[in-house]
Order: sequence, then structure tokens, then C-alpha cells
Amino acid sequence: MAGYIFGRVIGGFITLLCVSALAFFATALAPGNPAAVLLGNMATPERVEAVNRLMGLDQPLPVRYGIWLREVLAGNLGNSNLSFRPVLGLIGAALPATLELAALSLLVAVVVSIPLGLLMAHKQASWWMRPLSGFVTLGISVPGFWVGLLLIVIFSVWLHILPSGGFVPANRNLGQNLRSLVLPTLTLAIYLTPSLVRFVRVAAASVLREDYVDTARAKGAGIGRIMFRHVAPNTLISTITYIGLQLGLLISGAIIVEVIFAIPGIGRLGMSAVLNRDYPVIQGVVLVAATGYVVVNLLVDLAYSLIDPRVRVR
Amino acid sequence: MTEAAHSAGEIAVAAPVRRRRQGMLAYLARRSPLALLLVTLFLFAAVFGPLISPHSMTETDLSLANLPPNGSYWLGTDALGRDVLSRILGSAGVAAQAMLIVVLIGGILGASLGLVAGGLGGITDLIVSRVTEILQGFPTVLIAIVIVALLTPSLTNAMVAVGLAAVPDFARIARSVAIQLRDREFIQAARGLGAGELRILVTETLPNMIGPLIIIASFDGAQAIMWEAALSFLGLGVQPPAPSFGSMLRDAQNYLNINPWLAVTVGVAVSAIILGLNLLGDALSDYYEMTER
Repeated sequence: MAGYIFGRVIGGFITLLCVSALAFFATALAPGNPAAVLLGNMATPERVEAVNRLMGLDQPLPVRYGIWLREVLAGNLGNSNLSFRPVLGLIGAALPATLELAALSLLVAVVVSIPLGLLMAHKQASWWMRPLSGFVTLGISVPGFWVGLLLIVIFSVWLHILPSGGFVPANRNLGQNLRSLVLPTLTLAIYLTPSLVRFVRVAAASVLREDYVDTARAKGAGIGRIMFRHVAPNTLISTITYIGLQLGLLISGAIIVEVIFAIPGIGRLGMSAVLNRDYPVIQGVVLVAATGYVVVNLLVDLAYSLIDPRVRVR
Repeated sequence: MTEAAHSAGEIAVAAPVRRRRQGMLAYLARRSPLALLLVTLFLFAAVFGPLISPHSMTETDLSLANLPPNGSYWLGTDALGRDVLSRILGSAGVAAQAMLIVVLIGGILGASLGLVAGGLGGITDLIVSRVTEILQGFPTVLIAIVIVALLTPSLTNAMVAVGLAAVPDFARIARSVAIQLRDREFIQAARGLGAGELRILVTETLPNMIGPLIIIASFDGAQAIMWEAALSFLGLGVQPPAPSFGSMLRDAQNYLNINPWLAVTVGVAVSAIILGLNLLGDALSDYYEMTER
């Protein structure tokens, strides 16, 4: 067990190093000299060279990466090229909105998908299975952000019951905050749900074929007991891993949804940084999002091995 | 590309692929006529779109702005008075390019990695598996942000990001087929005849995984089109005035209250294409006798 955890943590650590290198080189290799940008119209070749030396930009790339990494570990992500505010502060201000959106959407998606997937696995022979699974395939094929636009047309433009943007922070007014998050959450949840339903259905169907389900049936267990006592727990274990893998999709989806609904989260911060070529902010956003992805996946792996001892001996 | 990865994950590979007597097209036409119809329409629009489009894709005329569907503009016009149908036909061509780039990058890189990992095993397998595991499910938008930050926003750059994200899907399936074939009689026979391991991989193993790779290509092609739309919508992909599903939906969002038609028609078109490719993937899985676990 200790060996397994150690291996996983080391793996996660290596991944984080790769990710940090990615974030660093994405900006270090980008066109345009930061010294020249900083000097603006006061730039002369001599001054640029002096500032380069001052900022350590004349050092070889690996050395610069080392220095940068040391600064990052000390909590210094640099300043925005546009607002000159510390990147860490900008990200800290944007993170709560993103986390709230992601958590709410994931919650809705899980609450809908698991019962629906179990039901679909149980009722495989029913006449309404074909249309329902067709609907799931359709759901997988529809671009999530387009659903967001349709929701805006229906609920904001036609019915005038929900706002199409204008995020309200939770600490200002929780009711308004939740109201402003209904459409974004719905959009992201609808994006995540179809593939999750499909996964739960397939996982539950394979559990239903296990011998221990037959045994339970032979012992006279009702379908309710079989589904909740035997199938659901065994399905949940693999579903947790799947959700960990879906985390990338959740992050991508959250970025898009933030742009559609003008939510001042980390995705919108990153997108405007890319379009404005604000490299320190891009670096920070990529680093934080990727770190979140790696760390959560690591936690999922570890949780998985705690819940299901079979994993460790694999 | 987690979604396609998930589809791939559900497939238990039966190797080597045993073909049905029936031809592939005949089987598809019977099993999933809708898939065949949608994909054919898409490919036709992608190839002949510029020839059959009724109006110009980029010519603007503000006096015709934001028209709903009508006799001369079947799907209406956008905010600059451009014909939506013509722009959708143009977008189909862009989508096909997106699909091609992603499938080529993901397919060639992924299949070679998987082939070598599964065929040679040992330390090669370990390294390749770990690397693909890390890439697997990594947020595509983040990869796109990094690449676009390094270079410039364009269709190719955005699709390189999506192609990289697709590598694990192809690698995983190629690896699992290669492992299953490793000790089969015909491989051992080739080995006995003195063929080197690399030669065996290329001449014996590779031809036997074409089917599974085509299936993944179909699912990841659908994903490619979805990502082209998403990344162009974000401004990371195709740049205006060139038409693309994503850039059209981006335009549509600014006029949702005056011209909701634009969002509806473009979204239905791109969804139909993705649906066609996903259904095709499902049907091909059946054709190649792969069953869901």
C-alpha cells in the first residue's frame, strides 16, 4: 500500500514538473522580448541588453526555468503585462467563481447520470431504451457551448426569467449568485451528462453479469436490493475514476462556459490573456489549472485504492 | 479527448479482425443509414461546398443583415448580411480539414507509439504507457492555449492541439491490439522465418489493426469537429472573415436577441455532422465485431 501511494505521488510529481516546464516554455519561447516591451518607446539596443541582464533573460533557458520554478514555489507568479497586478492575486480573485461553477455542474451531472445510467442498465430490454440511448448519442454529439446559446435564447431572450450573464459573487448575495449561475451550470452539466450516463450504463451492465449478482438473485434479493446493495457500489468505484478522467473535459468546458456567460473566472482570465498576449497571466493560468488537474487525478487514484483493495494488486 | 477515449475504452478488442462476408458499405447502409446519409452529406458539402454555394461566403451587404430564412436566403443572413447557407457549406470544408489534421496527427503518432509499445513491451511499453496516461484527458483547451500563445490563432494551430490530445486514444487501441497479437501463430511464424521485430510490427501487426484505428478515427473525427467549433468560438481557431462553425456561433452570440436563427441553423448543422460521425463509429464497431464490454 505504501509502495503504491509512493509510486503514484512520484508519478504525480513528475507530471507536475512536465506541466510547469510546459507553462514556462510556452511563454519563454513566445515571440517578443519582455525587456523591449517593458521599455516601450525608450528601448535602445543597449538598454534592452541591460534590462535583459537585469531580468536574467541573458541566461540559458534551463537556468531561467530553474529560477522561475524557485520563484513559483515561493508563490511569485510575476505581474500581468497589462494591469501590472500580481498574477497570483488575479488568479486568486478568479478561482472562486470557477470552482463554484465546476462543483455545481459536476454535482448536477452526477446526480442525474448515476440513477439514469443504473436505470438504463437495468431496463435494457424496454421499448423506450432505443429512443433514450439515441438521445444520449445525440447529447454526446451536440457541442456543449451551443446548448448554452440555446438556453440563453429560451430563458433570457424569450422567457426573460434568467440572466444571460452578469455574475454575482457568492459573498455579495447568495441568491443572486445562484440565479446568475443557473444557465451556466445547466450548460456545463448538460455537456458532462451524456457521456457519464453512457459510462454508468456500461459499467452497471457489466456488474449485473457478475456471479455475485446471480447469487444475490438466487438468495431471493429483490431488484431494489440488488441494484443498491450490489450494483451501485461496484459501479460507483469505476465511475469515480471516470469522473477523474473527465476532469479535463470539466476544465475545458468551464473555460468555454465562462466566456459565454461572462463569468469572471480563471478560464475567462486565461482567454483574455491569450488574446492580449499577456504571457505571465497565461503562464499562471495554465500552471494552476494543470496543477489542479494533476492533483485531483492523483487524489482520485488514491481514493480509489482505499475504496477498492483490488486496484493495488493489479 | 476524453469522450472519444471513453468510447475506445468501452471497446473490447477482438483481434485479429475477422471481416464479415458482407461489404462494409452494404453493412453500414443496413445498420445505420442515418450515419451514412449524414457523413455523405458532410463530405459532399466539404468537397463541393464552394461550387454549389448559392451566394458568396464573405461578401457583406448591411442592407440584408440579420434576415430570417426566406426564399433567396434559405437559412437567412448574419449580422453583416452574409448568406448563412453558403457560410455553413464553407464551414463544412473547414471542419473536414480539422478532422483530417487531428486524425493524421493523432493516428500516425498514436498508432506508432501504441504499436511499438505493445509490440516490443518491456521498458518501451512502460515509458509510452506513462506518457499517454499523462496526456490522456489533459484539458484540450489548455493545450490549445499554450500552442496559440506560442504561435498565432489559426485552424492548424488549434487542431494540432486537438491532434495531440487524440494521441492517447490511438495509442491505447494500437497497443492493446499489438499485445494480443504478439504471440499469435502467424507472428511467431514470421519471427521463425527470421523477420525482425520492427518488420513484424509493420507488415504483420499493423494491417490487423486497421479496423480498430478506423473506428477511433471516426469518433475522434467527430471530436475534432466539436473542438474546431469550440476553439474557433473562443477565438483560438479560424479567424474572421473566414467561415467556420465556431466563428459563426461566436457571431451568433452577439445577436441572439435580434437573430436567434443564426445560432439555431449553425448549431443544428454542426451537431448533425458530429452525430453522423459518432453513429458511424458505433456502426463500424459492430462491423468489426467489437462488442461493448
